[in-house]
Amino acid sequence: MAYLSLNNVTKQFGDVVVVDNFKLEMEKGEFVSFLGPSGCGKTTTLRMVAGFEIPTSGTIMLDGIDITNKAPNQRNVGMIFQAYALFPNMTVAQNIGFGLRIRKQAEHEVAARVNEMLGLVNLEKHADKYPYQLSGGQQQRVSLARALAIRPDVLLLDEPLSALDAKIRVSLRAEIRAIQKRLGITAIFVTHDQEEALSISDRIVVMNVGEMEQVGTPFEIYNFPKTQFVANFVGSLNNADAEVIDPANGILAMDGVHFKTAEGDFANRRKGDKVKISIRPERFSFAAEPMKENVVDCTVENITFLGAVVRIQIKIGNTKFNMDTFNNPFLELPAIGAKEKVMCSKEAVLVL
Amino acid sequence: MNFWSRLRRFPFWSWLWFIIGGLYFILPLLATFEFSLSWDPEIPLKAYQRAFEDNDFWETFIYSNVLALATIIVSIILIVPTAYWIRLRLPEARRIVEFITLMPFVVPAIILVFGLIRIYSSPFNVPFTDIRLMQPLTNFKAGTNILIVAGYMVLAMPYMYRSVDTGMRTVDIRTLTEAAQSLGANWYTIITRVILPNIRSALLSGALLTFAIVVGEVTLASFLGVDAFGPYLFLLGQHRAYEPAALSFVSFLLTWLAMGLIQLFTGGQGQAAGAH
Repeated sequence: MAYLSLNNVTKQFGDVVVVDNFKLEMEKGEFVSFLGPSGCGKTTTLRMVAGFEIPTSGTIMLDGIDITNKAPNQRNVGMIFQAYALFPNMTVAQNIGFGLRIRKQAEHEVAARVNEMLGLVNLEKHADKYPYQLSGGQQQRVSLARALAIRPDVLLLDEPLSALDAKIRVSLRAEIRAIQKRLGITAIFVTHDQEEALSISDRIVVMNVGEMEQVGTPFEIYNFPKTQFVANFVGSLNNADAEVIDPANGILAMDGVHFKTAEGDFANRRKGDKVKISIRPERFSFAAEPMKENVVDCTVENITFLGAVVRIQIKIGNTKFNMDTFNNPFLELPAIGAKEKVMCSKEAVLVL
Repeated sequence: MNFWSRLRRFPFWSWLWFIIGGLYFILPLLATFEFSLSWDPEIPLKAYQRAFEDNDFWETFIYSNVLALATIIVSIILIVPTAYWIRLRLPEARRIVEFITLMPFVVPAIILVFGLIRIYSSPFNVPFTDIRLMQPLTNFKAGTNILIVAGYMVLAMPYMYRSVDTGMRTVDIRTLTEAAQSLGANWYTIITRVILPNIRSALLSGALLTFAIVVGEVTLASFLGVDAFGPYLFLLGQHRAYEPAALSFVSFLLTWLAMGLIQLFTGGQGQAAGAH
């Protein structure tokens, strides 16, 4: 049986369905991210697990116990907020010890646990400081320590890195993941940042307008998106209109240029059907070696240097595509306007 | 940098308006103080001596202070949870409550006191019977005290509510509440250990304003027939010349002392340090 399960959870505000029939089962120690654009219902779902919202229908089970209607203060769930939510009138140590004192633990136990948590987040020297004396990253680490101090059954993180600058964000997310793994705590992480979700999660739930679009590992979500929305939302994508030429062999034509796809599900397609094809920019490469399929002529339109990656805009037929290639000091780039041949594997051509 | 360039950088007009403003406030106070000293040139503090020797002064002053304290306590008990709940759960009720809190500015104290007397000078009966539950509140001392504290609470409500509401606006009440809840805190703990400490200076401001209103209030106290400090000062002003000036000056000093205490308690910062 799953450790945490959300069974057909729906949340309505008036007539608006914010979360629709959400189903998820999580194992103990798993790290799951809810990923989606603003207003997709990811935070509302998290808040229902925390107890700040009650589902309109459905149940939430935690370790075999139905917690759907339990008050937030009776759930033993740790929560980290985007705005840190540290108590301004308390020092770092008092903030971390707050939940333990609520549980009426002995003062020496509180002190020991607070020290342990301070060590965990490397803030031993800041115990007596007030939140306003700390940087954003430090405040969020205090918030993490405070949430973990009560030994929660589930750790909920509501866009905890959004208010931080890029460098701190990357280091803190690694820190959060390392601590979560070390403690083996079950965690749900809400974010709209795909890179964050891909880098930190065991599994990702991609959400759109209150519905789950896809659940899978970061690898599955990125490489095998099941819907157009997931393909577009996670990573960059080239989209183009195409026509089915040979359904049995997965041959499509775009502006008269033929592509072969590995997508086998063409049973319901007929010759002449209009479809959308999607190809990730990094799946293209210049045809340096002969390849049987998907070698097409293109014109180089533009080249943009993005640091680690160079983005080359090419035109195939009448459609513009982006093509990404890793940067290196010896990279030989074509001239703008040059006629080149590019290729991509049939697995790279997604028909969604 | 030479003298002239320094002079050009000096914010002359800012200082001029600041000094004019300062004089506007300080000159009447100085005049009152000077007048209070002019009773007997040989004993400059004679007005103060006489005023403090009067038993009525101490009785009415202490009584009004007790009333002010009671009003502050009742106001905090009633207004803090109301403002908190409106911010947290009923933001749509905010306009209605703000309108209600403005009513004391529109309805004069004289109307309020006659309303109170009209309603509470009759006994409380079980509806549609002659069975008496309680005698009229205006008929006994404790009842009158309850009435006057309730009346003062209404008069001070605009100041107290706005102070508390502004204080709550400066801290993220909702997120702090949810953070405390997720850590296991119940409502009592959240209000006493998280909310109140973070709106401390707002509470002190509201309390000071309430104190100032209650201690000097005349209308309610006069019509409800209680011996409060406001009516005492009013009577004194009608019959004496120097003592009222002395007591007015003392009132100013007390107000300034209270403001100084607020600065001391809050360290000059609006809210608890770090509130954002």
